[in-house]
This record gives sequence, structure tokens and C-alpha cells, in this order.
Amino acid sequence: MASFVPNESNSTLNGQQKVMYAKNSSGEFNRVNYGSSAEEFATLNAVNEYKELENEALIEIKNSISSPIKYFMYKNRMDLPTLCGFVNMFGFRVKRHLKMKYFLKLDDKILEKYAKAFDITLLELKSFKND
Amino acid sequence: MINDFKHSQYAHCESGVVSSMLTNSGLKISEPMAFGLTSTLSFAFFPIVKVNGMPLIAYRAIPKNIINKIEKSLKIKLFKKSFRNMLEANLELDKALENGKLVGLQTSVFYLPYMPSDMRFHFNAHNLLVYGKIEKNYQISDPVFENIVECSQKDLIKARFAKGVFSPKGFMYYVDKLPKNIEFETILKKAIRKNAKSMLTVFPYAGVRGMRKLVSHIEKLQEKDERYIKNYLTHIVRMQEEIGTGGGGFRYLYAAFLKEAIKYNLDVDKLNKASELLTLSGDTLRNFALKCVESAKKIERFNPKEISDILIEASNYEEKAFKILKSI
Repeated sequence: MASFVPNESNSTLNGQQKVMYAKNSSGEFNRVNYGSSAEEFATLNAVNEYKELENEALIEIKNSISSPIKYFMYKNRMDLPTLCGFVNMFGFRVKRHLKMKYFLKLDDKILEKYAKAFDITLLELKSFKND
Repeated sequence: MINDFKHSQYAHCESGVVSSMLTNSGLKISEPMAFGLTSTLSFAFFPIVKVNGMPLIAYRAIPKNIINKIEKSLKIKLFKKSFRNMLEANLELDKALENGKLVGLQTSVFYLPYMPSDMRFHFNAHNLLVYGKIEKNYQISDPVFENIVECSQKDLIKARFAKGVFSPKGFMYYVDKLPKNIEFETILKKAIRKNAKSMLTVFPYAGVRGMRKLVSHIEKLQEKDERYIKNYLTHIVRMQEEIGTGGGGFRYLYAAFLKEAIKYNLDVDKLNKASELLTLSGDTLRNFALKCVESAKKIERFNPKEISDILIEASNYEEKAFKILKSI
């Protein structure tokens, strides 16, 4: 019996197709192209979740609760442990820097680390405002 | 640079790179063989380890398993090295390419410019194969892409030195020495038995039991808010599909491996039966993924029991398959 191979569109692949192993009618496995809309939905959900977190951060920045670091973290699709890895600091410290109150007191040396992790200039990070 | 290098597209990055690297170096090892010989089929569910705030769910053994085990099982010698210094890592890569090596690299998907933007997340264990360099651009055979791609030196360094979970630390590898003769029959038996043992482990968070452990967590989801349930269900699917290659991708890969193993004088009935069961598990896991997505789309129709039953069905197929394979 041959395998069922999904042939749906998946916009997240930019027109490419991936391959999977499937049985042909004589029972041998071959590599075949497939497209999965379930995969597409799951990927887009993850992309949109980051967008939503980004937007929530923007509102929090406006209300002086969160710092621009939080916005750039989500914009770069990072979670806390990933950002910690890039700036080489402990989680509790980075978590503190996500708050506007502590962010305003940070010196340039530390801010530079974050700017580097986000691939932006120090000025871009320092002058980031959401009005 | 290797002039007669032939690019192929594979189902999975690590098994693809290893298969492509060995085949292009003169030792023909298919992707299912690279996957099966290294006993890579797995299931792991670690609720304490978080990936983007979600529990770690893996459908295969940890990254680098294929690279490390293929060395041991086939007695291949690979040159393997991690780096602290970016400059040194680059020089070593260029030197290897000048010597005509095909170089495997561990990279972060997020920093590879040829990746579609929706696919770019901080996943640090993506494997690719560099086969040449023209001026400041590396020529790359990325096993999950249809055609060869290119990446600038600047971007490749970023991808090789990304930070976070599984950070690659510039890890590179290439074939140093190939074995003269390989005793496939004994090696295969050992590899299959080993995989069976790990799938049937008594440890409750891995193998067949790990699948059932995930079931108990899906059933508890109902107490959570909508956004969390949606993220959780699609997370399961992403771990399975995107990184797991097409529904039960790894199950099909292993089923294909068992079929190929028949050539080497192993018990035909057992291999056929187990291959059939793992194909069924692959199909069932695909249904499971479809149900997860359906529920994430219409959360009011989310029925944990209905989803869980499908996963239990898959775990039953796998238990049966590996019980057969344990005695190969």
C-alpha cells in the first residue's frame, strides 16, 4: 500500500518544498516532496506569538513598565535564556533589565552588550521610545 | 573545493549532512541508514526544560548523536572541533576547504540569510555542509533545501557562534578516515537492539512511556487559558513537523531504515512487521498533529481525551514494534 503524502500549500517555506520518506505502491520507501498546512499553521502561530509579545512590550514601554530590551528581545525572537546566553549574564539580572526602572540606570557598557546581541547601535537602544 | 559534489535534499538536517558527507566521500550511506545505525529514533518529554516557555518535546535523540555514533558504529574517523575564537574557526574552515574537505557545521537557523523569515528561530542545532568558497561567500549544501545555497562569511560566523540552548560554539566536522570493510550484519543488530531498549526504557519521560507522559499533560491543559493551550498544541506540532519532518517524519525514516536493513541478512519477518508498525505510528502521529492544529484553531472544540487517545494509539504501535526488534 502506498503512503498518503499531503500536498497542501505552506507559505512559510517561500515556495520551497521539503521531503519526507513515503512508501510507493510496491512498498519501498522513497523521498517525496510534501506540503503540510498543519505545519504552516503551527509555524505561523509561533511567529505571531512573538509579534504579540512585541506589541505587548510596546504598550508596557509607553507606560514606563518595561524597557526597550524586552521589545528587542521579542523582536529578535529570543526568550530569556537565549538573551542571557548572548549577553553572558544570569537570568535574574537580565529580568531586572527588562524593567524600565532599572533600565534607566544602566551604564553604557552593559547597554552595549544588549545592543550587540540585537545587532543595533547603542544609540538606537538608548533612544528607543514608544510614543 | 570538491568539483563533483552532488547535492541532495533530505528529510532531516543531521542525518542528511552525515549521509551526504559520507556518500560524497565514497562511502554510500543512505539517510535512513545514518539515522538507524546511530539508534536515533526517540521520544523525550521534559516538562522542566523549557524552550520558548514550553516543555522540551523531542522525537529524536539529542543533537550530535548521529555525528558521534556514526563514528563509533562504522569505525569512521571524523575530525571534530569546537572553537572559542571566531577568527580561528574561520581559518580552520577555509583550510579544510582548501584541502578538498566537505565540512559539516552546526549553526543557528536564525542567522542564516537564505532561510525564509518565518522559519528563522533561535534553533541552534541546524546542520549544513560547506563544499566551497568563492571570494567571501561559502557554497552550502543545506540538506533541507531543494538546491544549493550561499552564505556570506559575516553571516556564517554569526550563525556558528550564536548563543543559547545547544549553542554551536563554531562546531565543525569532516571525514578524516573511512573504514575498509564494514560488518553490517553485526552492527545493524546491535544498533536496532539498542534503539529498542531506549524506546522501551522504564524511565517515565522517555520512549514509549514519555509519549504517555505527554498525554497526562495534555489532559491537564484544560485548566489553562486559551492562548497557552493554543501555543502548547502548536508547539507539539512544531517539534514534530518542522523539526520532525512531515507528521511522523522520524518514524517513516526509521521504517525505511528497517526495510533497508533486510538486505544484510537479518530476520525478514521481524523487520517487515516492525517497519509496518512504525509506518502506522507515523500515520497516527500525523493524525495527532492534525487534531492538535484543529483544536488550536477552534479552541472551543478542544477535547483533550480525543487528542490523547491518538497519541496513545501511536505509543502502542511503537511498543509492539520495539518489542519485536528487541529480539532481532
